[in-house]
Amino acid sequence: MDEQDKLLDEAMGAVRGQAFQMKRCLDKGRLMDGLKHASNMLGELRTSLLSPKTYYELYMCICDELRHLEMYLIDEFQKGHRVADLYELVQYAGNIVPRLYLLITVGLVYIKTNETCKRDILKDLVEMCRGVQHPLRGLFLRNYLLQCSRNILPDMEDPPVGHNPEEFPAGSISDSVDFILMNFAEMNKLWVRMQHQGHSRDKEKRERERQELRILVGTNLVRLSQLEHVDVERYKKSVLPGILEQAVSCRDPLSQEYLMECIIQVFPDEFHLQTLSAFLKACAELHSEVNVKNIIISLIDRLANFAHREDGTGIPDEIKLFEIFSEQVSQVIKSRPDMPMEDTVSLQVSLVNLAQKCYPDEIEYVDKVMQNTLEVFQKLNIDKIHSGSALGKELSRLLRLPADNYNNLLTVLQLQYYTPLLNLLDYSGRKILSTYLVTNAVDNETCIPTQEQVDAVLSMIASLICDQSDQPLVDPDPEDLAEEQGLLARFLHLFKSTNSDQQYLILTTARKHLGAGGNKRVLYTLPPLVFQAYQLAFKYYAEREEDDKWGKKVHKIFQFSHQTITALVKAEYAELPLRLFLQGALAIDKIDFENHETVAYEFMSQAFSLYEDEISDSKAQLAAMTLIMGTFQQTTCFSEENHEPLRTQCALAASKLLKKPDQARGVTTCSHLFWSARSLATNKEELRDEKRVLECLKKAVRIANQCMDPSAQIQLFVELLNHYIYFYEKGNTQVTVAMLNQLISKVKEDLANLETTEDTDQISRHLTNTLTHLQLRLQEPPSDGPNYEGLQL
Amino acid sequence: MSFFGFGQSADIEIQLDGSDTRKMAEMKTEDGKKERYYLYYDGESVSGKVNVSLKKPGSRLEHQGIKIEFVGQIELYYDRGNHHEFTSLVKELARPGELTQNGSFEFEFNQVEKPYESYSGTNVRLRYFLRVTVVRRLSDIVREMDLLVHTLSSYPEMNNSIKMEVGIEDCLHIEFEYNKSKYHLKDVIVGKIYFLLVRIKIKHMEIAIIKRETTGSGPNTFNENETIAKYEIMDGAPVRGESIPIRVFLAGYDLTPTMRDINKKFSVRYYLNLVLVDEEERRYFKQQEITLWRKGERLRRPLQQQLLAQQHALQQLHLNNQQSKFPQSHPHGQPQEYVPQMPSTGAEPPSPQQSQSPMHEEAPEKVESNPSIQPQSRQPAASVTPPQPQPEAEPAEEEETTPKLPSPPTEPPNSIDSPEEEFLEAQAGSPSEDDDVGEEEEAVKPSSAVSQEPVPVAQ
Repeated sequence: MDEQDKLLDEAMGAVRGQAFQMKRCLDKGRLMDGLKHASNMLGELRTSLLSPKTYYELYMCICDELRHLEMYLIDEFQKGHRVADLYELVQYAGNIVPRLYLLITVGLVYIKTNETCKRDILKDLVEMCRGVQHPLRGLFLRNYLLQCSRNILPDMEDPPVGHNPEEFPAGSISDSVDFILMNFAEMNKLWVRMQHQGHSRDKEKRERERQELRILVGTNLVRLSQLEHVDVERYKKSVLPGILEQAVSCRDPLSQEYLMECIIQVFPDEFHLQTLSAFLKACAELHSEVNVKNIIISLIDRLANFAHREDGTGIPDEIKLFEIFSEQVSQVIKSRPDMPMEDTVSLQVSLVNLAQKCYPDEIEYVDKVMQNTLEVFQKLNIDKIHSGSALGKELSRLLRLPADNYNNLLTVLQLQYYTPLLNLLDYSGRKILSTYLVTNAVDNETCIPTQEQVDAVLSMIASLICDQSDQPLVDPDPEDLAEEQGLLARFLHLFKSTNSDQQYLILTTARKHLGAGGNKRVLYTLPPLVFQAYQLAFKYYAEREEDDKWGKKVHKIFQFSHQTITALVKAEYAELPLRLFLQGALAIDKIDFENHETVAYEFMSQAFSLYEDEISDSKAQLAAMTLIMGTFQQTTCFSEENHEPLRTQCALAASKLLKKPDQARGVTTCSHLFWSARSLATNKEELRDEKRVLECLKKAVRIANQCMDPSAQIQLFVELLNHYIYFYEKGNTQVTVAMLNQLISKVKEDLANLETTEDTDQISRHLTNTLTHLQLRLQEPPSDGPNYEGLQL
Repeated sequence: MSFFGFGQSADIEIQLDGSDTRKMAEMKTEDGKKERYYLYYDGESVSGKVNVSLKKPGSRLEHQGIKIEFVGQIELYYDRGNHHEFTSLVKELARPGELTQNGSFEFEFNQVEKPYESYSGTNVRLRYFLRVTVVRRLSDIVREMDLLVHTLSSYPEMNNSIKMEVGIEDCLHIEFEYNKSKYHLKDVIVGKIYFLLVRIKIKHMEIAIIKRETTGSGPNTFNENETIAKYEIMDGAPVRGESIPIRVFLAGYDLTPTMRDINKKFSVRYYLNLVLVDEEERRYFKQQEITLWRKGERLRRPLQQQLLAQQHALQQLHLNNQQSKFPQSHPHGQPQEYVPQMPSTGAEPPSPQQSQSPMHEEAPEKVESNPSIQPQSRQPAASVTPPQPQPEAEPAEEEETTPKLPSPPTEPPNSIDSPEEEFLEAQAGSPSEDDDVGEEEEAVKPSSAVSQEPVPVAQ
């Protein structure tokens, strides 16, 4: 039990004792003695030793007891036993605190039993309470007054002008407003004064205690808001000015912050709408330590929600909500040069919020806010904002808002002042925000349909596109870069116009931006462009009936693609451009424009030279070779004149591979070129050169035989067996069952000699599968296929 | 009277005319008890019957005459032997002779002048009585009966408010106003205190009604101060700009009209003492004399009217009333750029330099010798204003509704909480026109010489 508990215990004991005596006297009808005990009991509230919290407990206990007295008096009064001069009698109490509590109690009994003196008693009570200037005691005393008068404050229209108010002793709404405003003002002064009490080292504790007590002050405002006859007019004319005057003049940040917040929360939104200017003007006059931003934001958020509410009437047209806020906010900013920049920006954030919620169609409003913000920065010569700072965070928040709200990057693009504002952020801030915008666009599949917009977007997100003067000197983490550029690449696919010419312009524009991205970025950003270009070429081809220049355009597109791929080559990539060339060749092959054979040949030959010049890793060589041959096998556009050298080149290249297994596989693959490749020479039919096929296969067997590693060798044989079977089934007469038998027996034999390892396991499974296939064919020969007579499994 | 064994041979009874309807009033007797007496006013006839009844029926009573006197006299307690009669009327009831049976004699003092009010104080009393004397050779048979006289006054023609600005240079500056200078005994003092400058930590403020009884003259003047009422009017420390209401009902206190130089023997004057107490228990005060007078029949007005009248009275006060202005200073703040704003008070703007009547404080004496001034954990309410219940001696006056709730303290003035903390008020610069109670106290306490000297601020 700490000191406070002990003190409270002691006081409570005294209170209970006196309360008991009081009730006993009242029961016996000895009012005067009862009052004396009540006065003694109330004397406990004179203490200076209790903390606000403890004092509150004591106060509550005493209030409970006072209710007995009140009930007794009301009862007596109603029975007609009016005690003459009771109002005067209680004022003989020598100490002011007990005296005023009694006076309030008795005064309220008078009012409750007889309306006619209501106004005068209320006036008297609120005035007499001035006698208690001790903050804590005064606050509670006035709170008691407020509590007691809760249900009896006059709430009826004022008498018509020209009437003597004395004729209306029960009072009217003006009296109630005056009463509460006065009580409020006095309580606020007491509350403010608390901070000057005691030692300065206890300041923090006092602030805390003041926070605990603020509700006492706020109750006045609640009471005002509960009066039915406080309508918009009255609120505008007397209530709000009264509160604001007190709030502004007290010059206490804690109080001002609380009161302004209280006003916003306590009174209805309809009132706020009608008094915006007055309220905001007052905000500009608040103490410099007051967080005005929070107050205004709170109001804006409330009104924004109000506008959004379904049951509400929305914002009346005559109230230019945004203009008023915009105007007043800039006043506030002007009047508070000490306000942190981040708070200024926070205000702008809430303005944007307001504009977006209340006026979803008015993009200019949002742009106006951006402009104002930009001007504020320019005025202060701020040209770089650290993104990690509070200001940077706020600015980022401001910039993210339109994206979040519209979920449409195109709308954001319409904000003229957006990009300049964005550019104030430092590199990492810009990059994060750009990523955010791009993600938003990708998530919402926002297509960018014109060249201009593409230009604007790419300028806006320049930090993702190309090197920045302020970027860090160290290279970014490759994985991060891959992720970031990967996202960008996804975004590039959204650069889409329905108009093909436009689409071409889009691509060239994008190419211009992306081309500046440097070697590391182009790896990610150029391929999408190339693919987009190929798609566009197909589109022109599909539309060839409507556009007689389509051929030239397609040619241009492939030129564009060629250049783009070449840019990748220049950036010292090989495998990627090789594949892009091959992809291009495939596309060109299918689009029948003038000269397309030449172009396709160029693409193929580019792929070849990349293979020859740039690819040195044997695995990569095999993979590239396989791709080249695959692509070549798919094309049909070449005349023999072009087909033959390419074919030969492939075979040559395959046999020149470094490792024997690679050679074997390359040559095996090459065999298909002599079988299923089509060209103009064959009238786009398959070549089916049985002899050359067999030569290739035999060469592969020969090479396989040279392999030293038995398991690799057997693997090759199994693969070769499959190719033999393939060609046999396709009807290559040069391939015979005897060849198959020979291969099968060799493989079986060798496999038996091998140790069982994981590799051999796989090989034997491959073989088993192959043999099962043959078994099936043997049992049920297909109607059109060759028969396997003589096959020995 | 029967120490010779003779015994009183007859009883004398005085029966006043209309005694069943005559009002009665209380008066303290010399030993402090309160007695009830029949009440008369100036110019009223005093008439009645004197009954002389013989103890033993059938015996005889020889006498040298029977007379009745109406006496008004002043008794100074330090001069017991000398009573100063300012009125003495005699009526002869019977010529010398013999009473053989009970006799009854009518008497009347027609429209008798009663110039002064009955009074019973510390050193003096003024009483009226009837005395019946059966003159005898050895020992007269005497019977006295006290009467009470109230002097009624009409409304004073001039009744200005009391308004004053007082202060201690650079520490405290207040302006106060009481709505009148003359109050009737059931009146209400309505007033206001306006704080112009507060740089001391005020704990509370109270108003005391002090009665000063002056007896004797010249070098043999005796002053007796008595605090009739002590009434807290403010709790806590105000800041600049606050105005605190004062409202003191006088009806509940034991007051008499102001008496000035009654028959050149004594005076009874009343002062309102405004006392500010700071956190170190230093007291700052300012006394103002008020005149009390007795009004005729007291008519109760309904509460609403009373309130109206009081509110009206408050509004009449000419003090600054800038409640809406937020006070800019706090009790121990820095000097403010103080701009006096006193619209209606007239020509003299109140600035510290022009203060009419500076208040002064004395440094506490002997603080170390009295460590018990430390704040106690819980002050019983009684320690400031002991609510001693009044003797329940007035059941007959129920309709007068004399408040019994907290009766005014009757302690002598030297028993205030910490007498050594008492502070004087100095009339800096100008010799005082009105004799201040404070000066007397200063004289009583020579040790105050160690205290800081009053600083003259106004020239």
